[in-house]
Amino acid sequence: MDFGLLSDAFTELIGSGHSHYIFFGVLVGLTFGVIPGLGGTTALALLIPVTYTMDPVAAMYLAGGSMGATSFGGSMTAILLNTPGTPPNAATTFDGYPLTRQGKAGLAIGASATASAMGGLIGLLSLLLVIPLARNIIYLFGPPEFFLLTVLCLIAIAVATMGKLLRGLITGCFGLMVAFVGMDSVSGELRYAGEIDYLWDGVPLVPVLTGMFAVSQMLALALKGGSIVSEEHRKTKLSGVFTGMQSVFRHWTHLLRGSAIGTVIGAIPGLGGVVASFFAYSSAAQTSREPESFGKGNIIGVIAPEAANNAKDGASLLPAVAFGIPGSAESALLLSILILHGIEPGPSILVESQREIYGLILAITFSAVGASIVGLIGARWLMLITYVKVQVLVPVVITVTLTAVYVLEGKLGDVVVCGVMGVVGYLMIRFDYPRLTFIIALVLGRTMEQAFHQSMIISDGNMYGYIAGRPTAIVLVVFIALTLLFPAFRSYRSMKKNSA
Amino acid sequence: MKLLSYVSLALLVLGMGPATAAWPDDKPIKFIIPFGPGGFDAYARTLAPALEKILGAVVVPENVPGAGGRIGANTVYRARPDGYTIGLWSMPGMTMPAIVGERVRYDLNKLSWIAQLSYDAYALAVKADSPIRTLEELCNLGRPATFSGQGGFTETASIATVIMMAELGCPYKIVTGYQSSGQATLAVMRGDVDARVNPLGSLMPYIKSGDVRLLLTFERETSVPEVPTIAELGHADYVNFGLARVVAGPPGLPDDIRDRLSGAFAEAMQSEKLLEWSQKTNNPFAPLDSQQTVSAMQEMMRFYENYGELLRMEFKGKR
Repeated sequence: MDFGLLSDAFTELIGSGHSHYIFFGVLVGLTFGVIPGLGGTTALALLIPVTYTMDPVAAMYLAGGSMGATSFGGSMTAILLNTPGTPPNAATTFDGYPLTRQGKAGLAIGASATASAMGGLIGLLSLLLVIPLARNIIYLFGPPEFFLLTVLCLIAIAVATMGKLLRGLITGCFGLMVAFVGMDSVSGELRYAGEIDYLWDGVPLVPVLTGMFAVSQMLALALKGGSIVSEEHRKTKLSGVFTGMQSVFRHWTHLLRGSAIGTVIGAIPGLGGVVASFFAYSSAAQTSREPESFGKGNIIGVIAPEAANNAKDGASLLPAVAFGIPGSAESALLLSILILHGIEPGPSILVESQREIYGLILAITFSAVGASIVGLIGARWLMLITYVKVQVLVPVVITVTLTAVYVLEGKLGDVVVCGVMGVVGYLMIRFDYPRLTFIIALVLGRTMEQAFHQSMIISDGNMYGYIAGRPTAIVLVVFIALTLLFPAFRSYRSMKKNSA
Repeated sequence: MKLLSYVSLALLVLGMGPATAAWPDDKPIKFIIPFGPGGFDAYARTLAPALEKILGAVVVPENVPGAGGRIGANTVYRARPDGYTIGLWSMPGMTMPAIVGERVRYDLNKLSWIAQLSYDAYALAVKADSPIRTLEELCNLGRPATFSGQGGFTETASIATVIMMAELGCPYKIVTGYQSSGQATLAVMRGDVDARVNPLGSLMPYIKSGDVRLLLTFERETSVPEVPTIAELGHADYVNFGLARVVAGPPGLPDDIRDRLSGAFAEAMQSEKLLEWSQKTNNPFAPLDSQQTVSAMQEMMRFYENYGELLRMEFKGKR
């Protein structure tokens, strides 16, 4: 681990006179995080032209600042409105929103702010620890490992639906069906797209997620009436923030586990933040001694996903740092900022551009902390949103959301998809079908299919033999088996306890 | 990106006179990039500020990614030929769908070619510690040689692979589906596959770092010491395998506008600042004016059409 480089970067940050760019980045990131439909990728894409005339390190401060701040911004909307500001915040709604309804929004926001900041710091530490091993880690994951990883994620999520396994599998299959629309990435063949150009690249993720979580929630609210927080739970100021902050340290095992999950999943290209935070949430719920309290306002349900969400940011840079090859949409944009500034990303990027890379890593970390502080100051006023009458709130949020979805790519199709998924999502809430499995299947479907096809081509159809010869793949198979057996083991144990 | 173009559009609309004002004074020029961030994006975004200065107009690079560049291509092709929409084209990539019999909504022969920005020769790379030393060894592994490919089969690099291996009668398999050209190179380094055909420029950093080794380059004269060219190995036809980044506007672009655009690109690519960028980032320029671009593109299309039958046959088996 190279703390020397980090302290050089720190000295530069203080001495350069560019540190205010991190602060600007934080403000941009928070804003883009709070508004459903807009997210970190959009913020980065919009910042690219702004960085033209800047020093490359300053550009990295700005970009890193916005990247580290979006996820906390998004968690505030998730907690207060049950509407994730960015897709990875969806897991935070499950317990964050019930807390708001009980008048404990302050508790949830305090916990989310602290978990985000701590997640960011832990993410930084783990990134520094693994950078020297980055190449070996990336070499471990070829097509068969990717396939098994996606299977593992899907099974873990399905098991986590607890008691709704069948319904979870149904919506999971539905998610896979939607994921397979468009051009097959291996054969280039079009599927279920008809004559519609729009569908060639598949059903886009952000409009679906935004529809399914933001629009559907607004529909549910509109049909219920009233306002989010009933009169009796109202307080004039945001209370419990400090207790919320403390709760993170009280549940430090969940903080660590969430951060670890975020780091590992963040480092693997193609899985991304949504999977990281859902995985952290379901693992917290699954291993809890009182799993039934999740979904009803358990503070751990806020801590775990938000820690994962920020920890993944640093780790997602791993393929970019090790090879100059982006592993996520955000790191692709970061690398293109570097290219604009005359830096060629390649395998020696860490040596040749260490100022920029370490500046970026610092910016992401500081921004995770800074966003939490700025956010906590603003949260008092943001909370008032939950007292607004639904008749006013719903049209405003829906308008802002659909506009954001349109602005993202300028495609009317995105707005249609968002609206349709809003209705589908509402029906799923109404008839109690889990949305979680649908979303995860949608996110992972393409990677899963592609990795499967590639493995089959490489191994000439001899998948079992191929897996048997690869140690990492065998370990993953064992994990899958354990995940499947876990519920059986738990019910056996509780049966024994009951009979004793 | 969209948002930015709306903002600039809105600003310009406020001060906009009648639409008859002389080009290019009254509207921003949209420069469509049919891909996300990457090589094409870098060229467009680096050139845009220089073009703005030369033309005295606002130039807004806009990413319209999707369907292997086809959505961006359609956008440019369908735009009004008024000089306010131009686009980058990946060649010969955009010729492939039509050649292998997929339906496309643009006709390359009708495009208004403006300038060529770059031309990267391809090269054939293997992992640095691979036992394979020559093309002949790659051909005689006792099993099909495996290659990595980005996206579906119509990626330019995969097409070059198919033509070469099929004509030489070598058994081969292409593992397609990698998300980017970088990921496909990583697949070689990780050992998913034996080899990869990739633009030489993009391979250079990985050669320098000792991750990959070249078997040959698809050049007339090699630019890498001690690496043979495909011509030296007796297959001179294949020196045409390369990737061109070309600017073109919709069919029917008026000649005067086309020439001014073409001149602006030529001037921009000679500016000191851009030359320095080009050198530092290993993104070389290969400027051609609009007439030269037209003939280069026609020659390129003819070359690949010769292999139409072969490609259609090969694809039938692979899908």
